[in-house]
Amino acid sequence: MRGTTLVIVRMALLAAVLLLWEALPRFGFVNPMLLPPLSDVLAALAHILVRADVHQALGVTAAEVVVAFAIAVPLGAALGVLSAENAYFGDIFKPMLFYVFSIPKSIFLPMFILVFGIGFPQKVAYATFSTLFIVIMSASTAVESVKAEHLLVARSYGATQIQILRRVYLPSMLPILLEALRISMIFNFTGVMIAEMYASRLGIGRLIADWGESFEMTKLLAGVILIAAAAMLFNEAVRSLEARCSTWRT
Amino acid sequence: MQHVANLTGKRAGAAKAAVEVRGLSHVYAGRDGAVPALENIELKVPAGRFIVIVGPSGCGKTSLLMMLAGLRAPSAGTILCDGRPISQPDPTRVGVVFQEASLYPWLTAVENVEFPLVLKHAPRAERRERAGAMLNLVGLDGFGSRYPHELSGGMKQRVSIARGLVQDPPVLLMDEPFAALDEQTRMTMGHELLSIWSQTSKTVVFITHSLTEAVYLADEVVVMSARPGRILDRITVDLPRPRTYQMMATDVFGALRERIWLQIRTTP
Repeated sequence: MRGTTLVIVRMALLAAVLLLWEALPRFGFVNPMLLPPLSDVLAALAHILVRADVHQALGVTAAEVVVAFAIAVPLGAALGVLSAENAYFGDIFKPMLFYVFSIPKSIFLPMFILVFGIGFPQKVAYATFSTLFIVIMSASTAVESVKAEHLLVARSYGATQIQILRRVYLPSMLPILLEALRISMIFNFTGVMIAEMYASRLGIGRLIADWGESFEMTKLLAGVILIAAAAMLFNEAVRSLEARCSTWRT
Repeated sequence: MQHVANLTGKRAGAAKAAVEVRGLSHVYAGRDGAVPALENIELKVPAGRFIVIVGPSGCGKTSLLMMLAGLRAPSAGTILCDGRPISQPDPTRVGVVFQEASLYPWLTAVENVEFPLVLKHAPRAERRERAGAMLNLVGLDGFGSRYPHELSGGMKQRVSIARGLVQDPPVLLMDEPFAALDEQTRMTMGHELLSIWSQTSKTVVFITHSLTEAVYLADEVVVMSARPGRILDRITVDLPRPRTYQMMATDVFGALRERIWLQIRTTP
């Protein structure tokens, strides 16, 4: 019963926010130039969703996100596992990784432009760079979360290296890995967006920045809704997987 | 009457050594050079016997158990199990029961028990049947589909025991299996273990810190010294079986406990 109540309250709150978004500009409580009513934004969203240039921009951005993710996650995971498993490598690189992790990555953006230009490679390189460190740290945490007793049990029952990897390492690390995947995607997507909005010819980030600069608030907000929906969709998909593991997570 | 018959039966079958340790020594590389951990251990455990090893912390009793399980190689000496040397883990000869946190939290009770069989690629139906029988033996019938976090500490250790027995090894090694349990559960588990042992006639090597537990469970208590671990004494516990809680209040029990305590205490 409490669960249902909670859902009702949340829905009511969401409805109230959307209603205010519609009503405040409509009745002149806020400047509709700065905050256009929700219905106008939704109409703009429906409109931009059928535009060919928007499709192309979405395609470019999606490709950048996917490629950067596909590079950053395996590379970061490999480096993370190495730094956790190999004491020598870990001792050398871990402190350095922690220092670099703390730096806001966006200050390196001008350097990426000088090296890679403002096209596809630069977006991928910058997003990979923004994502890599969180993946390394999560992967190394995931390896360290494998309990020594669990490895010992497997060895005492004669498990081979492959069996230990598959039946002990993988399930032990899975909850942390899924969480890492989710958080890396946030970093990755942010990286691509920032790079596109900062300097680019293509991509949805560029379009959103353009709409902002030309004061097209309905389109700008429609773009925001679109990006937000895509990000939330990925996040929730991975989170539902995480929830399935959380019953045994300790 | 019944215990006497049981007792003599055990002794009669005790001619063959299930576990034999000859001239075992172990030295490990510490920060300040070589540290002697175990020195000249000689031990013969007849088949079907319940042996308990006690000793101060850091006396190398867990190291010794790891070596008996084939998980660690000694610097010198040999270990024979069932008459053959053991140099790597062999779960068909030796089952191991570890301390509390050793169950896999992502597997259910029955999946934990069948884990050793999964490693051996046993057919699913056979695994399930065998694991079910073991859960039944340890009194966990009907709990097979529970995850470890849904079980009490005592139940988790029952699952561990079932897992140790699932391949029917002649020897069962137990490394402080009840150390994390509260006193009452610990006593109950000890009692249950004896009943399982009497049904399966395994050779058990059991490590503990608790002297009461040692005397209550053992046919023989092996007392070890502080590092480097040596065998100080081997005390035969000639209390009749099955053991009862009342025996703990007897003078014989107290005297045995006292004898062990004095040796451990006087060792620096």
